[in-house]
Amino acid sequence: MASASPPRRRTKREWILPTYTGLVIAYLLIPIVVMMLFGFNDYPGKFNFVWEGFTLEHYRNLFRIPELTQALRNSLVIAAITSVVATTLGTLIALALTRFSFRGRSSLNLFIFIPMATPEIVLGVSLLSMFVAVQFARGFLTVLIAHIMFSISYVVVTVKARTSGFDRSLEDAARDLGADGWTTFWTVTFPLILPGIAAGGLLAFVLSFDDYVVTAFNAGATITFPLWIYGASRFGIPAQVNVMATLIFLLGVAYVVISLLRERRRSAAPDPTGA
Amino acid sequence: MNDFDRIMSGISPRAVPRREMLRRIGIGAGGASMAGLLAACGVEGESEQPAAKGKDPLSTAKVAGELNFANWPAYIDKAKGGSPTLEQFEKATDIDVQYKEVINDNLSFYATIREPLASGQPVQWDLIVVTDWLIGKMADLGYLEELDHSKLPNFTKNAGAIYKDPTYDPNNAHSVPWQSGITGIAYNRELTGREITKTEDLFDPAFEGQVGMMTEMRDTMNLVILSMGINPEEATLEDARAAQEKLLKQREDGILRQYYGNDYVQPLAQGDLALCMAWSGDVLGKTLGSDSKVDFIVPEEGGMLWTDCMAIPQDAEHPVDALEMMNFVYQTDVAAQMTAWINYISPVPAAKPILAKANDSYTRQVADSPLVFPSKDMESRLHSYKNLDPEEEEEWNDLFNEVIEG
Amino acid sequence: MALEAQGRSAPEPPEPPSDRAGGARKGRRGLAPYLLTLPGVAWLVAFFAAPLGFMFLFTFYDGTIDIGYSFTSDWPQTYVEAFTTYDTQIIRSVIYALIVTVATLLISFPMMYWIAMKGGRRKNLFVLLLLLPFFTPFLIRTLAWQLVLSDQGIFLGTLKDIGLLSADFKLLASPLAVISGMTYNFLPFMALPLYVALEKLDPSLLDAAADLYSSKREAFLKVTLPLTLPGVFAGSLLTFIPSIGDFIDAEILGNPNTTMIGSIIRRQLLVNQDYPTGAALSFLLIASILVAVFLYARALGTEELTG
Repeated sequence: MASASPPRRRTKREWILPTYTGLVIAYLLIPIVVMMLFGFNDYPGKFNFVWEGFTLEHYRNLFRIPELTQALRNSLVIAAITSVVATTLGTLIALALTRFSFRGRSSLNLFIFIPMATPEIVLGVSLLSMFVAVQFARGFLTVLIAHIMFSISYVVVTVKARTSGFDRSLEDAARDLGADGWTTFWTVTFPLILPGIAAGGLLAFVLSFDDYVVTAFNAGATITFPLWIYGASRFGIPAQVNVMATLIFLLGVAYVVISLLRERRRSAAPDPTGA
Repeated sequence: MNDFDRIMSGISPRAVPRREMLRRIGIGAGGASMAGLLAACGVEGESEQPAAKGKDPLSTAKVAGELNFANWPAYIDKAKGGSPTLEQFEKATDIDVQYKEVINDNLSFYATIREPLASGQPVQWDLIVVTDWLIGKMADLGYLEELDHSKLPNFTKNAGAIYKDPTYDPNNAHSVPWQSGITGIAYNRELTGREITKTEDLFDPAFEGQVGMMTEMRDTMNLVILSMGINPEEATLEDARAAQEKLLKQREDGILRQYYGNDYVQPLAQGDLALCMAWSGDVLGKTLGSDSKVDFIVPEEGGMLWTDCMAIPQDAEHPVDALEMMNFVYQTDVAAQMTAWINYISPVPAAKPILAKANDSYTRQVADSPLVFPSKDMESRLHSYKNLDPEEEEEWNDLFNEVIEG
Repeated sequence: MALEAQGRSAPEPPEPPSDRAGGARKGRRGLAPYLLTLPGVAWLVAFFAAPLGFMFLFTFYDGTIDIGYSFTSDWPQTYVEAFTTYDTQIIRSVIYALIVTVATLLISFPMMYWIAMKGGRRKNLFVLLLLLPFFTPFLIRTLAWQLVLSDQGIFLGTLKDIGLLSADFKLLASPLAVISGMTYNFLPFMALPLYVALEKLDPSLLDAAADLYSSKREAFLKVTLPLTLPGVFAGSLLTFIPSIGDFIDAEILGNPNTTMIGSIIRRQLLVNQDYPTGAALSFLLIASILVAVFLYARALGTEELTG
């Protein structure tokens, strides 16, 4: 346990950093607050930038704009598929990297890292170049391909963080008790690395849902949520966008709250893995 | 490299060597058989109907019941989440219309269909609306279907005389006008503090950081050339260079805030812009009404008159359905209904009296507005874009790109 | 703690009887790791590495879609022309990215230091709070800033009405707005690696420094900073590299004089469809990044890249 010093009054100087942190966090939230606020704005016409009055109508008529709804749906579907595929592929790689020692392992580590370090625009442009050269039409499928591509690395890194600190003795114990490799994996290993996989899946989902640049180059006629917003931003974004973004944000908040609660509950209970 | 060579030339199988390309342009709108050309290039016959690309492609084809229509935003009448014109069309013809407002800029849109057109693949659109100069360019490249005017009686009957046989598309072989418009200046009276009357005002240092210009090369360059006292239709490359210098200075001095496609309306309304280049119909609604702060003017030195036209991309899947739409919107009552909402210049002169008799005052004001039905005096101040041949176009584009690319 | 660590690396348990796949064998099951990594690696090769190759090949070609592309032996000209035409934008992008990297570092270091060292049990909560705004799409955040900072908007408009600001004061459409926007959007990219590095810092080292009579400042400079350098390096990379290619902030918050190289590349590819030039510019961008990273790595004296 950390040094159990008795609580003492903070001196004035020690308030500087926490206050600073608080201010920064507040600053970070300004656009979010604005976004949420204008989801309730009762604005005439097309331009939602002056506060006119409070209304819930945008919440009631959330799906009034068919193209926006379609774009949202596209984004959700693409993100879901991306998440599943990228997480699967990435987890496999992460497992291989941390549990085996094989030739090419460090090169593979580097290779996985490079897409994360490449500017999105280069990723988008290169994919477009290839699709154009082989005359593969851009659309839903190319967006999916692109999203899975850039998500894999992030999943690998996330899952690796969980699997590399993994205590093998648990697996050995299982095997000592007579379980074979497969069973060991599914009953012991997998549940323990599941949080890491889930985190990786969530990360892939968010990255895919949010993506603008790579998608813009490879979407053809398909419209995703960010693409629609970018197009509409020049003409006045309807408040429905604010509402949708607010709801998604609240989902994120809920996730954070739940995981924090779970962590608190877990730290109260004895931890078998010692992780 | 050899394999890649094959892949690369596969991008445009019809145009392998440049000579072939020029030959095709020479044949151009005359309608030589594509299948014949392809055979000459040694490419096996395409899968789609080669006969349809012959001289009278559309007279024999049938209505398919579906129409994919690409257009600019706010370019068709809207009411209650739908469009009266489209709904009436669907009811009258039983054709299901997929109407998508995906065009925000001529070149950007052209970029999305250029590849399939160049390589003979089907384009997803049956009907598109692009500006006159692009019509001319696409027609020259063989990218547009030839129209069967026997299916367009309303056009023949109702279109104004100046819209028939325009220079960019002789005999309306490939297009018919959708709406015309004027490029001028829109300004916020409160923010400018004074009346704006000339293009030169766009270069006034007093409006530092509050001026908007357009990303459309022809609009911007031609308007500036006019402000230098030169007739755009006679402008030379030297004039273009002078215009470019003026624009560069405007940007470098910080007078210019941003270059806009058709998205200047929000910044103008929001107060980020005091004055900007604008298209007549976009702002008309805002200028009518007693409490309006926004005005649209045709500059003293002159404004531009352009025409956006309907055309059918080559290899479109439902070309005859497109023809039906073309014909439908030339009915006088439909044309009036559209213009009442769109506020651009209708190619159907007979729409004016219909609008003048409307019930609501807004529509009557629209009928009265010289921006929608230009007077002779107004017309004298309007000019057409200079016709640029491909070489000139590249030079002007290079000059202009230097300006907008910062 | 050291003893515990020792205990962990006690001799490996004897080889268990069952010897099937899925276990942690060292080099025995030659195929297993390769099979596991195959699908993912294949995907990356096909859709990350190969496209880069295609993009590279494009720079050797010349032409347009309408007339077809043909190999040109004059291909260096493409690069030269691309660089000389757009050198302003390339340099501008590098400079903005550098400023943003430094800014995010300066802003997040104190914050993450406090959270990691003094956050106590609520550490994770603070980190999550920090990340919360980034649950909304980046476009929306940037557009919200455009709204907040608009000339006559809530913030500036009010100040102007009171008379605190002159009527033509503006924040938007300026390099400041662009850099501020970018700093905002890339903050987590710097903050998280810093946090990870700071969190791993062993407080007993600082105790030891104190025992050896070093001042707080000295301890910071001689102990904390060097140990967190890998985090600084990682954070800088993860911030600098995406920033240099970012163009959305510049488009929404800037003016034509703040155009980033990303915008140019986008225009070349999606509007002009000049693939050779667009590809050449992309490679020039990559080259700038590699040069910058290399110089930076040399300066810091660390080769730790993947961590």
